[in-house]
Amino acid sequence: MDTLVDINNVRKVYKRDAFEVPVLNGVTLEVPRGDFLALMGPSGSGKTTLLNLMAGIDRPTAGSILVDGKEISRFSETQLASWRARHVGFIFQMYNLIPVLNAAENVELPLLLTKLTKKERREHVHAALGIVGLGDRSLHYPRQLSGGQEQRVAIARAIVTDPTLLVADEPTGDLDAKNAQETLDLLQRLNTEYQKTIVMVTHDPKAAQHAKRTLHLEKGLLVNGYSLDTMASA
Amino acid sequence: MRFLKLIRRNLFRNKLRAILTMLLLAVIFFFVATLLAILDNFESFSNAGEGANRLVVQSAISLANLLPYSHEAKIRALPGVIDTAKLQWIGAYYKEKSNFFANFAIDVDKMPTVFDDYKIDPKEFAAFQADRRGALVGVDLMKRFGWKIGDRITLKRQIFSFDPELTIRGTYVHPVQTTSVFFPMEYFDQSQPAQIRSEVGTFWVKVKDPKQMAAISQQIDAMFKNSDYPTETFTEKEFQQNFMSMMGNVKLLFTAVSSCAIFMVVLLAAITMSMSARERVTEIAVLKAIGFEQRLILGIMLTEFILLTLIGGTLGSVGAHYLYGAVDMGKVTQGFLQNFGVHARTLAICLFASAAVGVIAGGLPALRASNLRVVDGLRRVV
Repeated sequence: MDTLVDINNVRKVYKRDAFEVPVLNGVTLEVPRGDFLALMGPSGSGKTTLLNLMAGIDRPTAGSILVDGKEISRFSETQLASWRARHVGFIFQMYNLIPVLNAAENVELPLLLTKLTKKERREHVHAALGIVGLGDRSLHYPRQLSGGQEQRVAIARAIVTDPTLLVADEPTGDLDAKNAQETLDLLQRLNTEYQKTIVMVTHDPKAAQHAKRTLHLEKGLLVNGYSLDTMASA
Repeated sequence: MRFLKLIRRNLFRNKLRAILTMLLLAVIFFFVATLLAILDNFESFSNAGEGANRLVVQSAISLANLLPYSHEAKIRALPGVIDTAKLQWIGAYYKEKSNFFANFAIDVDKMPTVFDDYKIDPKEFAAFQADRRGALVGVDLMKRFGWKIGDRITLKRQIFSFDPELTIRGTYVHPVQTTSVFFPMEYFDQSQPAQIRSEVGTFWVKVKDPKQMAAISQQIDAMFKNSDYPTETFTEKEFQQNFMSMMGNVKLLFTAVSSCAIFMVVLLAAITMSMSARERVTEIAVLKAIGFEQRLILGIMLTEFILLTLIGGTLGSVGAHYLYGAVDMGKVTQGFLQNFGVHARTLAICLFASAAVGVIAGGLPALRASNLRVVDGLRRVV
């Protein structure tokens, strides 16, 4: 399998007032195309930061990140926004749907940035909502949906542009067991049936079991992956 | 257009807040439109005689002091003067003091030459000339009181000791001044005590060449400088402006009040818009995450804020336009505001100002929202 995400010796340091807080301390990681990777680790270990970096919503302090052969860490803000629109689908813990838009309109949002016609957009939205099993809820507003349904709408929004990479940050963190299971099944199906490459951050070992492989982060280092720092100190 | 739905839904996401803000803007812009319309009204009154090539000669002491008829022949004899007419402000009212309007005694025979910008039907003018107690009435005043030609009206005294009893013989049309009554100077003279019978408030002088107006004006004043009745001569526009300035610097006052009102609404709108932007930090971060560029977010939010203020401004100023179109403000203000209305220019100013309020008040919240880092927005708990 070819590599979709290639992270090489990435460091991330956050500045909090006068203090520098190192979050990632030289992470090297490859995510093959079609992979379903779970990132686990305690709070503050740098899981979400790593996910944000490979999704292009944050920049590394050092190191390089290549996604689909492109060095995204060198992109300008405008280039990154345009790249994200075409290549990344986001799934958040709190769903983050726009409350004033109904399910179909929420799913349509990323398509507004494309050149698709209204009719084509409608067809894409219909297909995406069909995949997540919410074709009959397209006119419902987020407040009229259950948590599980909201997360499925969010997944439809993430896949509607057919992105190269799906990133999910604690996608089951706010769901009950039944809805969590349904969401994970859906992610698994997207990976197996639709060959979507998924990187998921989770605290939940049961959720991680749905992934093809799991990596652990601790104190900004991959403990069972490659880390140049780890290797150097070994 | 693609984002219009998102803008519209966000605009009314908190309906009560949006409606209250719009109502506040509507009230402020109603007020501003009214003040600007009053200024506009004064301005058009001041410009009433523009291009008519007329000078107005009054007493150098004050407008209330009268000038002798004997001045007229000397003024008329000056080179460049076409003709002159005597005009006396009467200041009477119709039935009640609230029915006030401008009314004058005039040299009827001189109207066609000196007041040639007043359009009068020749037959009606002939009837007016023939009747010593005839009246020529502005078309809008006819409408206001529902008068018809042939109606008899009696005006009640305020300044002079007589109540003009008049028969309407005709109407006139004028670009600005359409709410006055004119009646013959002869009738006024005969009703006055002997000592003021040969005196008048103003002489109106029709001049051949507008370039000569300043020179003729100086000649007139120089001619009577050392007489018992010195004069002060103005162009018609200056005369009207002097008349208006008797009320003080109304323009400065109204402009200051309007500016304060707009400044107040900018502050209030800025508070509302900041709240609205703050509430949406996470949503804005999500939009940016899925690919909405900074400029697009800025454009969407600014459009929303401008729409908010523009709707309020439109409600207020267009509301004022229709209200003043329906209500006779001449009657309401006892003749102070004649032909009053919020015209296209005032409407345009108000709409532009309301959009500007949106830009000024919403600019900073929209800019801050668009500059938000995605990770910061997603982390924020509002």
